[in-house]
Amino acid sequence: MSDVLILGEVKEGSLDLKTLELLGAGKKLAGELGGEFSLLLMGDSVSGMADEALPYGPAKVYKLEHHLLQGFKTDLWLACLEQACREINPKVLLMSHSFLGMELGPRLACRLNTRLTTDCIDLSIDPEDGLLLRTKPVSGGNAISVFKCPGEPQLATVRGKVFAAAESGDANGEIVDIKAKIDESMIKVESLEIVREEIVALDKADVVVSGGAGLGEEDGFELLEELREALSKSFANVMIGCSRVAVDKGWISSDHQVGLTGTMISPDIYVAVGISGAIQHLVGMVHAKKIIAINTDPGCNMFKVADYGVVEDYEEIIPALIEKLEELS
Amino acid sequence: MTPHRVMFWQIGNVWIFYVLAGLATGLFLAGVVAYVSVWKKSSRSLEIPFSKEALKRMILDTFLGRRVLQGDVAAGLMHLLIFWGFLSLFIGTSLLAIHHYIFTFLEGTAHLIFSFGLEVGGLMLLAGVIWALIRRYLQRVPRLERRLEDAVVPLWLLLAALSGFILEGLRLAVERSPWGGWSFVGWCLSGFFSPAGAEGLYPYLWWGHALLCLGFIAVIPYTKLFHILGAPAGIYLQGASKPIVLGMEEGAGEFDLGDAIFFDGCMRCGRCVEACPSVGAGEPFAPRDFVQALRQALWQEHFPLGDIRFMSPKEESKVDENFWYCTTCRACLEICPVYGAAFEVVTKKRVLAVEEGTMVPKLLNQTLEKLFKYNNPWESSKRKRGAWADGLELIDLTKRGAEADLCYFVGCTTSFDDTAQMIARSFSKVLQTAGVNFGILGKKEPCCGDIARRVGELGLFEEQRKGSEELFDKYGITEVATSSPHCFHTFKNEYPEAPFRARHYTQVLRELMAEGKLRFKKGVEATVTYHDPCYLGRHNRIFDEPREIIRAIPGINLIEMTHYQADSLCCGGGGGRMWQDLQGEVKMSEVRIREAEATGAEILITACPLCLIMLEDARKAAGLKEPFRVMDLNELVLQAL
Amino acid sequence: MTEIRIIVCAKQIPDPEAPLSDVSVDAEKMEVIVDAPQVISPFDENALEVAVRLKEEAGGKISVLSLGKKVSDTVLRKTLAAGADELILLEDDNFENLDSHSTAAALAGAIRKIGDYDLVLTGRQAGDWDSGQVGLILGEMLALPCISLARDISIEDGNVLVKKNIPEGYERVKAQMPALITVSNEVGELRYISRTKMLKMMRGARSIPSWSAEDLGVTPEALQQMGITALSSPPDMGRDCELLEGSPDEQAEKLAEVFKTLR
Ligand SMILES: Cc1cc2nc3c(=O)[nH]c(=O)nc-3n(C[C@H](O)[C@H](O)[C@H](O)COP(=O)(O)OP(=O)(O)OC[C@H]3O[C@@H](n4cnc5c(N)ncnc54)[C@H](O)[C@@H]3O)c2cc1C
Ligand code: SF4
Ligand code: SF4
Repeated sequence: MSDVLILGEVKEGSLDLKTLELLGAGKKLAGELGGEFSLLLMGDSVSGMADEALPYGPAKVYKLEHHLLQGFKTDLWLACLEQACREINPKVLLMSHSFLGMELGPRLACRLNTRLTTDCIDLSIDPEDGLLLRTKPVSGGNAISVFKCPGEPQLATVRGKVFAAAESGDANGEIVDIKAKIDESMIKVESLEIVREEIVALDKADVVVSGGAGLGEEDGFELLEELREALSKSFANVMIGCSRVAVDKGWISSDHQVGLTGTMISPDIYVAVGISGAIQHLVGMVHAKKIIAINTDPGCNMFKVADYGVVEDYEEIIPALIEKLEELS
Repeated sequence: MTPHRVMFWQIGNVWIFYVLAGLATGLFLAGVVAYVSVWKKSSRSLEIPFSKEALKRMILDTFLGRRVLQGDVAAGLMHLLIFWGFLSLFIGTSLLAIHHYIFTFLEGTAHLIFSFGLEVGGLMLLAGVIWALIRRYLQRVPRLERRLEDAVVPLWLLLAALSGFILEGLRLAVERSPWGGWSFVGWCLSGFFSPAGAEGLYPYLWWGHALLCLGFIAVIPYTKLFHILGAPAGIYLQGASKPIVLGMEEGAGEFDLGDAIFFDGCMRCGRCVEACPSVGAGEPFAPRDFVQALRQALWQEHFPLGDIRFMSPKEESKVDENFWYCTTCRACLEICPVYGAAFEVVTKKRVLAVEEGTMVPKLLNQTLEKLFKYNNPWESSKRKRGAWADGLELIDLTKRGAEADLCYFVGCTTSFDDTAQMIARSFSKVLQTAGVNFGILGKKEPCCGDIARRVGELGLFEEQRKGSEELFDKYGITEVATSSPHCFHTFKNEYPEAPFRARHYTQVLRELMAEGKLRFKKGVEATVTYHDPCYLGRHNRIFDEPREIIRAIPGINLIEMTHYQADSLCCGGGGGRMWQDLQGEVKMSEVRIREAEATGAEILITACPLCLIMLEDARKAAGLKEPFRVMDLNELVLQAL
Repeated sequence: MTEIRIIVCAKQIPDPEAPLSDVSVDAEKMEVIVDAPQVISPFDENALEVAVRLKEEAGGKISVLSLGKKVSDTVLRKTLAAGADELILLEDDNFENLDSHSTAAALAGAIRKIGDYDLVLTGRQAGDWDSGQVGLILGEMLALPCISLARDISIEDGNVLVKKNIPEGYERVKAQMPALITVSNEVGELRYISRTKMLKMMRGARSIPSWSAEDLGVTPEALQQMGITALSSPPDMGRDCELLEGSPDEQAEKLAEVFKTLR
């Protein structure tokens, strides 16, 4: 048995960054429990990834392969995950707070009669009873709550970017095969077609870099684009937004517009560059978790809602900022 | 022999004429009956209130063509020619009938005058019709449509008039009576015909003319010609008093008789299209098309055979679903010959849409929810409503023991919008300087209900109205000054039981000026122009006060834009449009700001928070830079104190 | 088309649109205090909207379930005004702060009691605890096909066809009814419910049934609370703008540091 089990995810033929972070978290929790941590990989062909994972220090990498696991069919993946949990019997199971984790987590919790806490930003073990303390933002991020629940395994989905990724080192673990007991009759929801979409879905962005009339010219958005690229190295889903004036001037298309007559968004970080903060703009973004304003006018409204402000010409700040970000990453 | 006219000269089988006349009258009457039945079925109430004023207006407008002349003298004269030409021929023919069947009086001098009159009438009609055709098809006046019936109707009239004259010529060519010269047109024409040929041709042409004329009568209800009856009826009903605000149960979303008659009285003159700012901004809405679509819808719903106007396109455009575009600016009512208030009908359609629920645009849906929950359309909280006044040390009338002579009702947008807050701060300082003892309602200030009312959420409006009335009552408030013409309009005209007097700040400032409490010590050296807010100007006829205040400031040079006062252009913010995500080819505010810029003024002054925001926004978008500025009147006044 | 019976689960929560300044945390009582009116959780409203549209198409019946210690029928009657046929409040002292599993258990009890249904719809997550679990657990408990994150739902010969959000776009899936579906905002907002309609619904003497834990056949022991052991404000709630001083270079440096801490 393993004390902490991590459900791995694969992205473009390699271990997902989120899985590496989970391995980091798993290592920490295993330490607190005085036990070991392992990784579970599922899919139609995951052998390569199992080898890739060993250097990150799991005691075991469980490998559950089946040709039916090609593509993500929730019913089958769930059945496999349930089977693996029953066989491995971990004390703690961590999944990332991703599409996959949220598809499987709640239903798994039900099947194993345990409790899941989603979107955790911190985890630790209560030394008294060995249960998992799950820290999670609630009320749209307006409060932080710590939960403790009974049941085994202790189950959580973990937000990305809160745990440092595990570092690779010596590979001491072993690879264990689990034979999947699934067949097509388990599929209750049949997939008909997958449609890929490319759209500026501003409301799905984690970070939005927004420009307004203060950019002064269309080229200003090129500078913002550079900033976007620099930030993309540290954040997922960084997108460009704008005020309506920028759209009206024809600098950028209207699907980028934030505000009353644009998109209403609540990203983790909103960077307002040269935007004064008219209420029609504010209603679209005040719910952002952190707001950073860059504006030459210290009296402008945007500073009233911002967490951090820089009173300076954006043409001075942004190139310097891009440089510093490159240095940091 | 005394001058007289021989009836049915050369005509055999006169009974056929009687049959035809009966048929025409029958068709005409059947048409009218159809109209009445449709009106009956489509109207909430059939009550026709008696109003002397309305009656007078109807008579004067109809016979003098005042509304048609207004704003378009050429069209007015053309219409007068046709109207009086047609009318005199109609009267003439009726007199002839009386003379023939009842008692003989068209003899001697009377006959001569009669003949002469008919000639003049005929000429007027001809001239008018030809002018109309020129306007529509050669001059191609933009507001005029060119549908089938638009060609058929004047050509019909033209043929009827021409055939009448030729007929007369033929008759006179044979008769050569000594008094024939009185029928001077026919007399001239008679020279072209040989008596024998004329005599042979006459009966055929006579029947042709008779058919044209009888057919014309018959066809009136089946074409836009129905406005001959519909327009006067519409004018009368639009002038008669109507209830101010109806509740949902009282049928607020239903049409009344005035609406139904307005739709049928509309002759598609297109004046409203020319005036409508929504059309000007290239939006898919035009009051005329909206009215016509509603007209057709009513006929399709309430008349078994569908639209009685057989020459109308089978499907009028779907504009009746685009009524969210209307800003309720009232420009269409200003010039409509039948006083059609398209925007009021728009509001009725909105009432139904809001009640039904699925057709409410997303942003408006959210805004209405916010209005209900937080009594303002901007912030999901009531708390910060009074925040603009921080540091001004104003009296909060909702605090225990607080009292003041005047309650300053700030309004939602002025309270929450950063640009508009300036109005509140300036006005407060102006009042302080003038020594006025005033207070505000702070965070208890409610929404007046304008948005709810304009977008047709009458239930919410009712609640907001009651809430406000109770609040004013509770704090013993009797004098109210508003920043926004919208709040002012709503209080003044839509709070039937208001326990207070509401004025717009321009009225208050004007009064302070008259009392000598407001003195301009400093001059402002600038050329300025003034934008009339729709709900201050057109809706409430306050055109002069703001101008008087501006002119009183030393150094100011006030110049007017192309459109001003009743003719002013809407900024696009009213009627709930501020909270709707609709776009045309350009923004109304941009059209307006360009017009302001074209005057060469440095400052565009307005007196409404919505106008201020819309125009300031347009100024930025249009890239108009300093020194060109948009300013609220208060700010200017404050500078001059 | 055969008629369709839909059950919608709708939760009452404080308006999640309330600004930061109206939210406070009582660490001692471990409560989030939101000074805002109660509303129906937005995703649940989306679920109701699809339900009403499906009913408009095929005919049928919609029942709304709302669970809590005390549920305000003045808030929930909106569902009736929107087109639901029946509103059932699941109220019990033991229903306070339930965890997702227990909430689902209670709802499952109610749904079994109703018995006859084709679809169970819930919002993808509730607007207060953002857990996103109840719907799927409920589906498991009822042993139904579960489809999450629906952006479009239609019915075809006893099957339900759903477009569900996936990271790459969307997937078209099909399942036999009865089924459970969690609904995402893309289906569209709940139609506007006018005040007149709401008031009519309030005045209507219609009594709203209320079922207790006992009625649902769930024992108090089966109900667990969320197990909160601590509650705090996030590090700096309420915004005070920190102006970054210095030369542009220094400001940029500080800003880069800010980004680093936010990562
Ligand atoms: C009905 C309606 C709906 C609207 N809907 C929206 C909407 O959905 N979204 C929206 O954004 N707006 C909307 N608006 C417009 C809104 O009112 C504002 O006009 C707009 O948001 C202002 O855009 P801005 O901040 O880019 O421009 P401005 O207000 O002109 O602000 C420019 C800012 O840039 C700063 N600046 C100038 N130079 C520099 C520099 N070199 N470096 C840094 N800063 C500089 C200035 O100090 C100023 O604060 C709407 C308006 C109306 C009337
Ligand atoms: S009120 Fe104004 S916007 Fe509305 S139809 Fe009339 S002219 Fe057009
Ligand atoms: S509504 Fe009035 S102004 Fe407009 S086309 Fe009809 S008659 Fe003319």
